[in-house]
Parts: sequence; structure tokens; C-alpha cells
Amino acid sequence: MTVAPRTSHYLDRPSASSLADVVDLILDKGLVIDINLRVSLVGIELLTVDARIVVASVDTYLRFAEAVNRLDLTQDKSEGLPELMQDMQQGGARHKTRGALEGVKGTVSDVIDHVRGGDDEDEGEEPEEQQEEAQERPRRRSRSAATRRERDR
Amino acid sequence: MNATALPEPVTLGCYVYGVVPIGTREPNDVEGIGDPPAPVTLVRHREIAAVVSEVDTGRPLGAPGDLLGHARVLDSLAAANVPVLPFRFGAVVRDVEAVADDLLAPQERQFADALEDLTDLAQFTVRGTYREDRVLRDILAERADIARLREQVAGLPEDAARYQQIQLGELISQELTARGQADTARLLDVLAPLAARAFHADATADQPLYASFLVPHDRWKGFEHATEDLAADWGAWMELRMLGPLAPYDFASQLVDADVDAEGDGSWD
Repeated sequence: MTVAPRTSHYLDRPSASSLADVVDLILDKGLVIDINLRVSLVGIELLTVDARIVVASVDTYLRFAEAVNRLDLTQDKSEGLPELMQDMQQGGARHKTRGALEGVKGTVSDVIDHVRGGDDEDEGEEPEEQQEEAQERPRRRSRSAATRRERDR
Repeated sequence: MNATALPEPVTLGCYVYGVVPIGTREPNDVEGIGDPPAPVTLVRHREIAAVVSEVDTGRPLGAPGDLLGHARVLDSLAAANVPVLPFRFGAVVRDVEAVADDLLAPQERQFADALEDLTDLAQFTVRGTYREDRVLRDILAERADIARLREQVAGLPEDAARYQQIQLGELISQELTARGQADTARLLDVLAPLAARAFHADATADQPLYASFLVPHDRWKGFEHATEDLAADWGAWMELRMLGPLAPYDFASQLVDADVDAEGDGSWD
């Protein structure tokens, strides 16, 4: 007997997590090994960066402003089928950016910069120091702050 | 021994993925971190075992392959319905003796109790992203103040409008956050009853919906179907993405902490 078809095409259900998923899923989570036991590794302190905190910044605001300014309100609201299909596959610009991550070969700090940076075409803007791209720098947040956040949950 | 013969001596450490119950089969068919990945093995101590592989401590850790390898090992255990307590990425201990004697032995009780709590449970994570055009049109239709501000901005030269641009973006950002909170609550209403435990991240404009659930093994299918139904209902304006079964990344710390302090709320359903 045939069961009514599931509407699974609406749910994005990857069989394996993408790199961007994994960054959000695992970084800063899980049990912490006592510092006295731990062997310190090159660059490992970068991993205490909390990639999931998105700082509300001028740049973020300008991005949304630009998106809403771009809207053509005279256009009919219903999307054509091709656009709709594209939407479903890509889930908007954010996913597009994230998809681009797949090919990145680099360290986790590069990964985080990419994930956080979003689509940063207009680099002239700045100023928020958190948004400075891609240069080597010491970790952004102290371990204690990150740990506390975890505990507050 | 013949380290003197090498230009750079390779120093090995023991990378720890997580802790599993003692009966767990060696996960030697899954590739972990390292290039090429070293075999994934178990270090046993009484009732529990650590999932480990050898790692070169002279090499920077954190390449995409390392992150994926870490998750792959842990998630393959979760998929096989093995309870697993994930360690934070980058946990390296001197050698297998240190893993057994200094990591597992002192915390054996806590780990074993937490693993028992995790029996038959795996994490499923649901993330939502608004379809940007659609949600922005909605906002303009519902928020006259935002629509008005947008009109003003459109009438000004770009340089002069910077302040208003920022203000416009901030209002939209706040509205998206509020919608994210409301939709997270709606999602939890539907899915949390199917789970043993639920967690959600605070909604932001960039990540409006992130929620994780510990789902009993016999409800995996039902949980997925319920999420599919939600995705179908919301499909016009939000895309839902579901990951799982996963190791309980969002719950491990609470599980072990709850066992540590007796007065921890540990509110298990």
C-alpha cells in the first residue's frame, strides 16, 4: 500500500553535515578536559572563539538596509517557479555564502572568518573591530567569557 | 628512538573524541582527524571507554578536515545508537595511559551516570533561515514605520542617508530577531513534546532559529516527520534544515554538570 508522499522536499535534510554546520554544532561545545591534562597544540586557543555569536554591528544593519532597499515592491509578490526552486536549493544568500565554504582549505580561524563575514563585498565600511577580516590575530574572546556563557544555558 | 635521524621529531598525542560505555565496538571503520587519519580506537577503564586516535602535536589542529573528522567519529556513534559524551574539539592528552588514569579514572562515576542518562537518545538539530525577500516584504507590509523610513532613505543621496540606513537596518534586525524568537517558540511547542530534552539558542537576525533535541531512538522517524510537516507549513517564508542523529553536543556539559552538583536542577522528563 502506498503511503501519502511525505513533503520531505521542504525540509533540507543533508545526509552529512557541511563544514559550516559542523562549525556551529561543535565549536565551544562538549566536555572540557582539565587544563593540566591537556597537551597544548599550535593554534588551538583560536578554537575558543565563539563562532556562533553574531555581533549586532553597523555592518549587519547596513546589510539589512541594503536588502530592503533592493526590494522591488512594484513587482508581483509571487515568485516564479525557477526562483522558487533556486530558493529551495540555496535558502537565500546566507546559505550560498556558507556553501562556498566547502572548498576552503585553511585553519579554523579562516573558516570562522568566512562564516562570520557573510557576504562582505563592501569592505570599505568597517569600523567595528570584530569585523576586521582575515588577519592573524589573537583570539577574540577570553575563555572565561565563553565558559560562562556555556554555563548560563 | 631514531628521532635523531628525523629533521623534525614527530611528537604524538592522544586525541580524545568522547566517552562511551564499555561494551562499545571499536569504531575502526570511521575516519577521524589527521591527514592521513590514524585509526580510531578505544581506551578502556572499567565501565567506560574513551574514543581516541593518535595525533601529531606538532601540526596545527583545526583544518576543515579535522573539524569534520571530529564530528564524523562522534556522529557515527550516535547514528549507531551508542550513547556518547562528546569532548570539545581539540582535546589532546599525552598518551593512552594518561587517558585511562587521569581522564577516565577520576571521573568514571560521572561519565558512567551521564552515559546511562543518554541511553537510546541522540541529538537532532533544527535550524531555520528566513527567505529574505519574503520576510522583508512581510515586514514592510506590517510595519508602517519601517516602510516610511525606507521611503525616506530612498529619497536621499547615499552619503546623506547613512544614519537613516543604519537606523533602518537596526529596526529590521530587531524585527527579524523578534520573529525568530516567536518561531523558535512555535517550533519548540511542536517538537519538544517528542524529545527527552530541548535546547535553543537565542534568536538573532542572522540566526533566527537554532534548536536541538534529545530524541529517543524509537521516535527518530516520528520526529523527522513532525519536522517535515513544519517545514511544509513554513516553507513559503522559512527554510528548515535538520541535522541528526548527532552526538549530544548541546547537552553534554549539562548532563555531566547535573551529576556533579546534587542540587543542579537536572530536570529530566
